[in-house]
Amino acid sequence: MADAHRGIETTDPPKLGLGLGLRNVHFDHILSEWPKVDWFEAISENFMDSGGRPRHVIRQVAERYPVVLHGVSLSIGSSDPLNFSYLGKLKVLAEEVKPVWISDHLCWTGVLGMNSHDLLPLPLTEETLKHVIERVRVVQDFLERPLIVENPSSYLTFAQSTITEPDFLRRLSDETGCGLLLDVNNVYVSCFNAGTDPAAYIEAFACERVAQMHLAGHQHCGTHIIDTHDQPVRADVWELYRLAWRQTNGAATLLEWDGNIPSFAECHAEVLKAKRYMHGRFDPGRVTMPAGEGPEAVSNPVDFLVPAVMGSTVLEEA
Amino acid sequence: MSADGQPLEALQGWMMNALVFPGMTPRDEVEQVVAHSARLNGDECLAIYQRSYYLRILKCMREQFPALCHALGEELFTDFAREYLRAHPPESYTLYDLGRRFPGYLAETRPDRDAAAAHRESWIDFMIDLATFERQVFVMFDAPGHEGKPFAGAGVADNQLRLQPCFALGAYQFPVAWYYHEVRKGNDPQFPPHETSFVALVRKDYLTRTLLLSQSHYIFLTALAESGSVEHAISAVARQLAVPPDDVRQSWWAQDGIRQRWIKAGFFICAGSGQASVSGC
Ligand SMILES: [Fe+2]
Repeated sequence: MADAHRGIETTDPPKLGLGLGLRNVHFDHILSEWPKVDWFEAISENFMDSGGRPRHVIRQVAERYPVVLHGVSLSIGSSDPLNFSYLGKLKVLAEEVKPVWISDHLCWTGVLGMNSHDLLPLPLTEETLKHVIERVRVVQDFLERPLIVENPSSYLTFAQSTITEPDFLRRLSDETGCGLLLDVNNVYVSCFNAGTDPAAYIEAFACERVAQMHLAGHQHCGTHIIDTHDQPVRADVWELYRLAWRQTNGAATLLEWDGNIPSFAECHAEVLKAKRYMHGRFDPGRVTMPAGEGPEAVSNPVDFLVPAVMGSTVLEEA
Repeated sequence: MSADGQPLEALQGWMMNALVFPGMTPRDEVEQVVAHSARLNGDECLAIYQRSYYLRILKCMREQFPALCHALGEELFTDFAREYLRAHPPESYTLYDLGRRFPGYLAETRPDRDAAAAHRESWIDFMIDLATFERQVFVMFDAPGHEGKPFAGAGVADNQLRLQPCFALGAYQFPVAWYYHEVRKGNDPQFPPHETSFVALVRKDYLTRTLLLSQSHYIFLTALAESGSVEHAISAVARQLAVPPDDVRQSWWAQDGIRQRWIKAGFFICAGSGQASVSGC
C-alpha cells in the first residue's frame, strides 16, 4: 500500500545539528540572550494546552529557531482508543509553531482510561506490531505528516515477545513510512538491563530512517540502569554515539536534561561535546557495561513539566 | 488471571493494575508474564516500574501544592497524596490535571465529615481551604488570558467593562493567601486561626496577583462575574450589606477607589475586546 506520508521528512530529514530541550527554567535566559543553539525540542504536552506563558514563549522561539515537537502521551501502543482531543490540540500547536517534525515513543502510557505518566514497554509480537502500524497510520493521516517514533528505555521485557526492538521499529517504519528517533542512551539502558549488546542493537537499527537522535544521562543502580535525564551523558553512551552518528549519517542530535537541570550554558556545553565523537573509528571495546553501583532512581522524570507556579505569583492589597 | 500470551488489552490492564496497586499481583504470575533480565527476575523488573510510578507523580503533587506540603510536612502530605492517587489514578494525558480532584478528595474523605461543622477539626478545614486556593493559583498559571490584547482603561464606560478571562474569586475560612505567600517568601508561618478571607486572583503579563478583598468587594465582584453589570453589582452589595446604593457607588467611583484600582490591576477588558474589532475601548 502506498503511504501518503512517505515524504521527504523521513527519507531525507534535515540535519539540524546539536539541539537542546526547551525547558521552563531556561525561558528567561533564552528570551533575553537568544543563545546560539542550532535548534530546540519542545515537549508537546507542555505547550499544547497552554494559554499562558509557555505558549507565548514557544511562539517566539519558533520564530527564531528550528523547533521539533516531542510527545510523551500519544500512547501509540495502548489498547485504549486513540485520544483525538489530544491529537487535535497537537495539530493546532503544530500549525502554530511549524515543527520540523513531531515525535513520540514506542510505548503505551495507560489503559482503561488511566494514565501512568510513564512510557511503558510493549510486548513485541506480531499482534502488537499490527496494532501499532494501524494506529501510526491513523495518527499520520490526522496530523497530515509522518510521525517520528523513538525507542524507549525499558526495564522489563515480556515473556511473549518474539520480535527484537530494532526489527519491530524497522517493520513499523517500512509499513507506515514513519521516521525513527534513535535514543542512544535508551539503547544503552535497555541493552544493559536486558543483557544484550548495544552496538549490535544500533547495527540492526534502521539508521537510514533516523531523523533524530537523543542523548541523556542515566543512573547506574547496580543490577539495572535507570534513564534519569538528570546528569551528563556517560562516557559509554558517548562512544555508542560515535557509531550512531556514523550509521545515521549525522542525524539531528538532542540532549535531554530534565532533572537537576543546570544553567543553559552548561546544558549547551554538554551537547556540544558531541562534536568530539563525530570522527574517529568506532571501537566496540570502548563501550563497556560495568556492574557499577548507585542509589535507586526514578525513571522518566516528568516533574520538570510542572511549572514552579509560586515564582510567578505575588500578593497585593486591593 | 495470567496475562502471559493474552491479548494486548489484557496484558496492559494487568500491568496498569500492578502499578496502581503494587503488592497485589502474585509473584508467580509476574514471573510467567515478565521475562527475567540479565541480573533481575521478572518481579524485580516490574518493581522498577511500580516504584517509579508513585515516586514520579507524588513529586508532581508536591510541586503543585507547595504550601500545603509545607503545612503538613513532606511525609504527611505524601501520605495524603498517595491515598488520593490510589483512589483517583490519573486520567488525563496532562500532568496539570493531576491535582484537580485533590481538594474535593480531602473534603470527602475527612474522618470528621459527618460531625457538625462546629465539631470538625479546624486544621482539616485549613488544609482543604489551602488545597483549594493552591489549585486555583496553579490553574491561573496556564489558563487562557488576555495578554497581548488591550485592557480597559479608566475612560471606559461601566456598561463596557467586563472581567478579564484569567480572573478568579475565592472565599475561605482561613487566610490562605497570606499563608501561601509567607511560604513563598521562605518563612515558616504558624497555622493561622479561623478568619474568613476573600481573594481575587488575576493574571496580567503572565504574573498572577493575589488581591485580598473585603466582603463588600467580594460581593461586588461575584455579582459582576454573574451578571456582567456594574449596576447589578452595586445593587447586590447594597442589598446584602443593607447600605444605600449611593454609598457603594461612591466607593466604586472615588478618587483611588476600587474602580480605578481594579482597572489598574488588570481586572477588566472592554466588551467585545476578545474579538477582532474593538469598539469603545
Ligand atoms: Fe529520549
